[in-house]
Amino acid sequence: MIIIRKNFIPHKIAFYVGIIVVWQIVSMVGIWPDNIFPSPYEVAEDLAYGAADGSLFYGIATSMWRLSIGLAIAISGGVVLGIFMARVEVINQTVGSLVLGMQSIPSIAWVPLAILWFGLSDGGIIFVTAIGAIFAVTINTYTGVKNIDPHYIEAARNMGAKGSQLIIAVLIPAAFPYMISGFKQGWAFAWRGVIGAELLFSFLGLGFLLNAGRSLNDVSQVISIMIVIMVIGLVIDTVVFKKLENKVMSRWGLQ
Amino acid sequence: MTKLEAKNIVKHFSHESHKLTALGGINLKVEAGDFVCLVGPSGCGKSTFLRIIAGLEKPDEGQILFDGHPVTETSPERIMVFQEGALFPWLKVQDNVEFGLKMAGIPKEERAKISNRYLDMMQLTKFANSYTYQLSTGMKQRVAIARALVMDPDVLLMDEPFASLDAQTRDLLLVEMQLIWEKTKKTILFVTHNVAEATVLGTKIVVFSNRPAIIKKEFENNFPRPRVTEDESLLKLQQDILAELRPEVKKSRE
Repeated sequence: MIIIRKNFIPHKIAFYVGIIVVWQIVSMVGIWPDNIFPSPYEVAEDLAYGAADGSLFYGIATSMWRLSIGLAIAISGGVVLGIFMARVEVINQTVGSLVLGMQSIPSIAWVPLAILWFGLSDGGIIFVTAIGAIFAVTINTYTGVKNIDPHYIEAARNMGAKGSQLIIAVLIPAAFPYMISGFKQGWAFAWRGVIGAELLFSFLGLGFLLNAGRSLNDVSQVISIMIVIMVIGLVIDTVVFKKLENKVMSRWGLQ
Repeated sequence: MTKLEAKNIVKHFSHESHKLTALGGINLKVEAGDFVCLVGPSGCGKSTFLRIIAGLEKPDEGQILFDGHPVTETSPERIMVFQEGALFPWLKVQDNVEFGLKMAGIPKEERAKISNRYLDMMQLTKFANSYTYQLSTGMKQRVAIARALVMDPDVLLMDEPFASLDAQTRDLLLVEMQLIWEKTKKTILFVTHNVAEATVLGTKIVVFSNRPAIIKKEFENNFPRPRVTEDESLLKLQQDILAELRPEVKKSRE
């Protein structure tokens, strides 16, 4: 399906150019010293340095690697948990209530426990990332499976689908539109979780670079890393999840 | 040969804390190759009866004998075609049609061979790679029928499959259904609230009473095929059925 929408790209470009121009002007007026309020040029320069010596890419790669592992754990665990909650009422009443409670804990609040359990290691950061994302995936999967048209399940059983066949061939695909929202939320939590954990663990990655910028009093590094974090988040949101979501919605006839 | 036998099927539902008896003791014998149409007032439990035969619901009393054996669970021997088709939107038409074969572990080439035959029969070959959201309601119902026939079931259970179709599409499918039945010689149970449809399709028309439903009357129907809804020869039969049906519909509205 093609949705015809007014093209706002020129407005967007003008908006961002405007921000940079205003920013440059404010920094040139010199209300604040350079080391508190750097110019966009200095931030860009910092990004270029980071790119040139590879530290920026290494930081991105490290964070993304942790994010991927954490999110993969969260998705596989959350899907399994969500399906069981939806299909077995006793699990829903017991485990399900705990999941709701756990979901309200911000991922950063898991950091002390992660440090005590895993030490200052990748494992700890991945743990924080995964646990921050898993409950969003679980709850969305649960809702998705609960909302499956019962005729799908009956038709499948009638045609001989049983047990794991039924789960793989029907429950998961039928609940997929909801699960996608769960993955999207999970990713957002995981991204916040991994950066937050890296800040506190101070052990490589973009969060570490942020913290390093702070301890060196290097405001332009801090701002440049924040921009990188924002851009990566935006790109994954729009390129990966929006596309996937649109495709699923139209295929499932929900659009 | 008796293919299916319903013995005193009783089914209750609990509805807002009071018990409601949908089926009040259904007794029915279906011979192999029969095309049985079930008509009755809406909400009388015809669909429930079909679901019990499919093994998707259990009766509170009585049992269904299939080839002389009691039905305990659902099975591809008795395939149901749902009112809305219940096609899987995440699968292409061909994969929908092959679903049951895949569950049965039949290899890919063989599945394709079988499904192609039925796609052709239902004039769906052009749409094999479409998704269901791209199909009209009539097309979807054809896919649902193809998906059922592919399983080569002994009994085809059809729950108002044409209810949401426009008149032209329905007329086309009524002709096709007769051809399919003549070609495959399947035993078919077909629920409808449309008496004309029942007389066109059925070798036997069974009238359900209002709740708690029992079988009020059975009509034999041996008029030559292919039949169409406007056949004058069917008129008398349609009137007889309506005469049985009307008081039940009236009761159901009281």
